[in-house]
Amino acid sequence: MAGAVQKARWALLDAVEMLARIVWPAPLRGALGWAFLAPALILVGILVIGLGQMLETSLHELNLATYRLGDAYTLANYATALERPVTWRVLARTLGGAGIVTLVTLLLAFPYAYLLVRTGSAWARKFLLVALFLPFFIGQVVRAYGWLIILGREGLLNSALKAVGLPAQDFLFAYPTVLFGLVQYMLPFAVLLIIPALSAIGEEVELASESLGARWPSTFRHVVLPMAAPGLIGASVVVFTLTLTDFAMPEILGGGTQDFFASAIYDSFFQISNAGLGAALSILLTLIGSVIVAAVFMMAGTGTLGFRGGRR
Amino acid sequence: MTFSRRTALKGGAALGATLAMPSILRAQDKPSELIVRAWGGAWGDALKSGVADPFTEKTGIPVRLDFTEDNEIKPKIWAAVDQGRVPPIHVNWDTTTNATISALRGVTVDLSDLPNLEGLLPSAKPVGLEGWPLVNTYAYVYVCAYRPEAFPDGAPESWTVMLDPKFKGRVALYDDGIGFNPIAVIAGGGTFEDIPDNMEPGYEFYRKLKANEPLLGEDPDFTSWFQNSEIDLACTISVNARAAKQSGIDVAWTVPKEGCKVDTDGLWVPKGLPANEEQAAKDFVNFALSEEAQKAWCGALGLPPVRPGIEPPADLVGDPSYPTRPEDFEKLVSVPSPVLVENQPIWFAKFNEIFQG
Repeated sequence: MAGAVQKARWALLDAVEMLARIVWPAPLRGALGWAFLAPALILVGILVIGLGQMLETSLHELNLATYRLGDAYTLANYATALERPVTWRVLARTLGGAGIVTLVTLLLAFPYAYLLVRTGSAWARKFLLVALFLPFFIGQVVRAYGWLIILGREGLLNSALKAVGLPAQDFLFAYPTVLFGLVQYMLPFAVLLIIPALSAIGEEVELASESLGARWPSTFRHVVLPMAAPGLIGASVVVFTLTLTDFAMPEILGGGTQDFFASAIYDSFFQISNAGLGAALSILLTLIGSVIVAAVFMMAGTGTLGFRGGRR
Repeated sequence: MTFSRRTALKGGAALGATLAMPSILRAQDKPSELIVRAWGGAWGDALKSGVADPFTEKTGIPVRLDFTEDNEIKPKIWAAVDQGRVPPIHVNWDTTTNATISALRGVTVDLSDLPNLEGLLPSAKPVGLEGWPLVNTYAYVYVCAYRPEAFPDGAPESWTVMLDPKFKGRVALYDDGIGFNPIAVIAGGGTFEDIPDNMEPGYEFYRKLKANEPLLGEDPDFTSWFQNSEIDLACTISVNARAAKQSGIDVAWTVPKEGCKVDTDGLWVPKGLPANEEQAAKDFVNFALSEEAQKAWCGALGLPPVRPGIEPPADLVGDPSYPTRPEDFEKLVSVPSPVLVENQPIWFAKFNEIFQG
């Protein structure tokens, strides 16, 4: 009986192999890798087509008499965007904010991830995991409104201050508040990206370092940090680019005066109906983000992210 | 040839069916629903009770209010019309400035044949456009709303109170300067004649105001800021201040000596709808202009309608935000739509440059 089952299994496998040969004949086997890549390439292709369309739109100027983009190709939208001081101010605020948020988020995310990976307590690990994933069930807008309730003039924080006899403070609608909201939003992303890198460092490597005489700070600096670099770089790239393009937090917590670049794009498309200018601003932001990410990869090397052939 | 009872019955049934046919066809012509873009809160409630529900009662066509932002629905309608798709809504309740932009783009249906256009005030007619690509439905005033507790000596007499350091961080404006740009010119020492060629006094006023760290927001923000005591003073539409007051928030409003900007909202129907849906949409607009709907809708909003002879709500009699007499209008500043359409992007850019600095 067992032999018959075994025979049937082999027959089934032979049939599957034969089917695979018919569907995917031998000459095509070299292209198997590309077949696996095809869905991703199609998605990236659609993105590139969209970017091309955006670039094309950015080269047409709005006609205020018809509120349609003109037919002629022109760089007028780029000139308009670049000659306005407000573009540079908002860009500087966005880039500075993205830098600060990335730095602070990494500083907070690393110990969190380290504790989550190294803790021996199952209860503590569960608690840290729940606390990490819970924010994903709450959208960014809801979280921002949550901070409005907590930080408002009559909010929880001011109530606590008043309760201990201190005067109420204006926490909301300022640049630091926007950055605070962004750090809170980005923290789970960073932790999730650092965890795999830390998990890959065996605990025995740290023990070996310490048994060779290194104190924990030295072990941390010379062993843990370099080995965790892929996670740190991945997290910094993700947090930086997400912050660079964020709209909701500056919009809700900024009180209208702390706009990031995405708000300027939104305003051009929707508030003043100038799709050409909005597209030009979008292209500029894409370019700046891409150049910064490329620079990070050039400096850190893609090898640090675990890619073969990258700089070690 | 003989007729049996069965044949007679068959003939009767066929005749009955034929007679009933037009009404069946009419029923099939009726759209399953009408989608009307609206603002939320007190605005949406007023449209629902004043126009949408009575329209449904009369026609049997359900009306669904779509609360997509007016600026966000605009490109969706434009794209649908340009690409030959059916637009996402049947009727757009819009600011006259935005509606004029859509009319200039050629995406609006001409409403000239609506019977209820007859007898409306001149303000109902769009300025600088051929025919009736939109119809204005009421006027509204961007009043100076304030918390009486913060003004124990009485209502602010001038918009320049916004510059008082006492109110640092406690003053609010619309985030695109809408409703305040012409007033800023006058409050900054200019005159109405300076608009639009010399806006510098207004920009100078904004530069001074920036030092007082104003908050910039939209309709719902003002209510929430007043509710949470985040602000003491705001330039907002009287509807928002009145709705806040009606919900128990301590808010009052006034027209300071420099005046307030008065504007209009309107309704329009996008091109590209199936014929029966376009007709139903026009019927909706026509109904919104009837005395019955104008009275209920504008009464709920607390705004002066374009149909003459309708009494103001009791709480707004003599209120300068509900202009009825010539002396009321003297306090208000109205900029023609073509001027707004042409200059709003320029003013917005400058506003942004000053306040995002």
